[in-house]
Amino acid sequence: MSEWLESAISRGQKIDDWLNPKRSRALELLSTTKWPTRKTEAWRYTPLRAIQSTKATQLDVVSDLTPLAIADLSAIELVFKNGKLDKSQLSDTLPTGLTVTLGSELAAAQQSQAVADFSEVKPDRHLFGLVNDALAQDVVIVNVEAGVKIEQPVRISSLLSQGAESHTRVQVTLGEGAELAVIEDVQAEGETLNTAFVEYFVSPKAHLEHYRFALQTGTNVSVGGCHFNMLDHSTMHSTIVAFGSDLSRLDTDIIHSGEFVDAKLNAIYLLDNNELFDLHATVEHAMPNGTTEENVRCIVGGRAKAVFNGRIHIHRDAQKTLAELNNRNLLVSKTAEINTKPELEIYADDVRCAHGATSAEVDKQALYYLQTRGIDRAQANVILNFGFINELIDLMPNKVLAEWIRPIIRARFSTMKVN
Amino acid sequence: MTVQVEIDEALAREYEAGFISDIESETFEPGLDESVITRISKMKNEPEWMLEWRLGAFREWLKMEEPDWALVDYPKVDFQAISYYSAPKSMKDKPKSLDEVDPELLRTYEKLGIPLIEQQMLAGIAVDAVFDSVSVVTTFREKLQEAGVIFCPISEAIVEYPELVKKYLGSVVGRKDNYYSALNCAVFTDGSFVYIPKGTRCPMELSTYFRINEQNTGQFERTLIIADEGSHVSYLEGCTAPQRDENQLHAAVVELIAMDNAEIKYSTVQNWYPGDENGKGGIYNFVTKRGICHTKAKISWTQVETGSAVTWKYPSCILKGDDSVGEFYSVALTRGRQQADTGTKMIHLGKNTKSTIITKGISAGRSNNSYRGLVKMAPTADGARNFTECDSLLIGDKCGAHTFPYIESRNPSAIVEHEATTSKVSDEQMFLCRQRGLDPEKAVSMIVNGFCKEVFKELPMEFAVEASKLLEISLEGSVG
Repeated sequence: MSEWLESAISRGQKIDDWLNPKRSRALELLSTTKWPTRKTEAWRYTPLRAIQSTKATQLDVVSDLTPLAIADLSAIELVFKNGKLDKSQLSDTLPTGLTVTLGSELAAAQQSQAVADFSEVKPDRHLFGLVNDALAQDVVIVNVEAGVKIEQPVRISSLLSQGAESHTRVQVTLGEGAELAVIEDVQAEGETLNTAFVEYFVSPKAHLEHYRFALQTGTNVSVGGCHFNMLDHSTMHSTIVAFGSDLSRLDTDIIHSGEFVDAKLNAIYLLDNNELFDLHATVEHAMPNGTTEENVRCIVGGRAKAVFNGRIHIHRDAQKTLAELNNRNLLVSKTAEINTKPELEIYADDVRCAHGATSAEVDKQALYYLQTRGIDRAQANVILNFGFINELIDLMPNKVLAEWIRPIIRARFSTMKVN
Repeated sequence: MTVQVEIDEALAREYEAGFISDIESETFEPGLDESVITRISKMKNEPEWMLEWRLGAFREWLKMEEPDWALVDYPKVDFQAISYYSAPKSMKDKPKSLDEVDPELLRTYEKLGIPLIEQQMLAGIAVDAVFDSVSVVTTFREKLQEAGVIFCPISEAIVEYPELVKKYLGSVVGRKDNYYSALNCAVFTDGSFVYIPKGTRCPMELSTYFRINEQNTGQFERTLIIADEGSHVSYLEGCTAPQRDENQLHAAVVELIAMDNAEIKYSTVQNWYPGDENGKGGIYNFVTKRGICHTKAKISWTQVETGSAVTWKYPSCILKGDDSVGEFYSVALTRGRQQADTGTKMIHLGKNTKSTIITKGISAGRSNNSYRGLVKMAPTADGARNFTECDSLLIGDKCGAHTFPYIESRNPSAIVEHEATTSKVSDEQMFLCRQRGLDPEKAVSMIVNGFCKEVFKELPMEFAVEASKLLEISLEGSVG
């Protein structure tokens, strides 16, 4: 076991609050968990050195950071500063049908429901999920009543000041037929460490629009997860954009717990310098008639490393499932690295499943074509790379967000090391 | 007939190569320690360096852990309950010709349909037959010698061509490579050795048949094929075992060395006993096969896997030389409670190296069939190219089909393409065939054969017929 984990466990043991039953369970599991090494399949390509050597600690000082402004978004802001919820940022008047409450302040009945839900979607195999179970300070419960469509997106921001360690946790429940968009992002200064986990409970016929932005580069260590429990006829559309950092890892689990669930997940990686981003996307088709479509595109430059593991698991009862995964990678530097593993595990026979993965550089002919039209090579490279990613940005349902992220991505290309 | 009844019937099918040959044999008592290895080495009249090599491997093996990453589930193997050497008694004084071979043994091979006797001249295949732990007979040696080709049991090669063996044994699959290969290095008893000299095209197909006969024995054969510059060889391998209630272990190692411009084609039809319908008995097939390609060389692996209770096998190519080519064509069929975790590794090191992977997995009954593969593009592999296609077919709703491809690329100019699909024999396909007057069995067999066609066309003619037939037998009555 690593020193870091030992310290996390001992800190967890000191916490005494409404989540005690779940916290002690997590601590028990952690005490028997082996620290991942290169031989641990889930961490095969992602070394944990950055965590072991981190100087980040849980700080009390409230960071004076403010969430990055997104023009015209007008979101309901849920701001965590060094792991603590900043209530002053939360609007006093929330739309009807939406509640945002600290788990510790819930009425008894709702609180016991929140305890029951806690860690129900997030699988126990996530080591840092267990750490989050044990250490998350302000657990926030977001609830949308049945049949209510919330127009404003909810934005969950995790802000960290230099040297801070934070563990944030949110539970989002959508009632039957409800609709909600959630944006998750992290901003950090210098050497920081954060685990951010969100569990989603999507009731029948509800629709969830989801975004996760991991744009924090540099010495930030970020390990997190988004876990979705989908019931009958519910739908979800998720977009992930990641720039990587010293260590940036995200686990997503989409669980088809009901029939006729439709899930879409698009992920974009743009890695440069020494950055690493690791996405482990798991889809569990536990019930029949579900559809899943995943598109993952990576552009990797500098000495960066992209890791992708896309697992689709079709259970025995999940007949008539349709699942597709498409992973395309562009290597733009001789020192960059791509490690990808699209997995299919299928136990039902009347299903249609396919996955594809490619790795290559920008098409030389296309590059040549643009050059013959008077565009210099570097510029032509940017155009082609951008086109590769832009297809997925176009698919983002929230156009305001799409217009916000587009120039950020464009700027990223202009500094990317290509050789 | 309902699908279930037909599946049950298919499951109840008997294993056709399951007979036991009543041959007097000399078998070591079960158990494994350094003295057993020393005894094996002595029995084989091996030189001192060989014994040292074995003991070194054994010491490494003791430090290793049994791998658990494959998607297979089986009780732990008790390595002390296995006998590591078994030889038909009459082999003690090695036969000089076929006339001296125990007639019972020859009948065994006849039952298996292996043409050991001279009439095989027509078939034009030279055979090295390995029975339990020893190589029984190698045919056509003289004819091959005329061409300069060495084809003999590896135990003989160790004594007669020590320089060649010393140079290449363990050069592709080292002693520390993995748990089962280390065990094999320590206790291997026989196998085939092939050397094709420079610029020579081997005048005939070479073939080995392996059979485990004796109870509680393991088979640990070792095959080493060296194709010198500009040479060409096609090698076939077939395996069977009697029907027994206990699980038997087969842990082989095959090493291929293709020097500049050489080509090796290695084909396997694996039909070890798969166990009964409840998963009792059957062979544990834990095999390491790997080849190295030097400049402009080519290695092509083709496998048809229908047997074994548990298969753990990844024939691989190290594409070291520039412009070298690796190929892997595989059909794996599992039924009953069989478990197969098989695939390949293509390690691209040289410039403009190419690899193709085509696999077809068919699962029926309560079996599990996994493809596990690695395509690795090293920073030096400029302009390298890989294409992978993995298709799975499910027959019945109690089986599983899985795909675990690993892609690691560190070179932007290398192109990797992977695609995988999973489907079942569709009602439309069946309807079309039935409408044309085919009975359900024929229809399924035709559809499956069509599904596997890309792989079968890579097999040598005789094997293609055998493979197709084997598939038909294994599938009989699987679907209505």
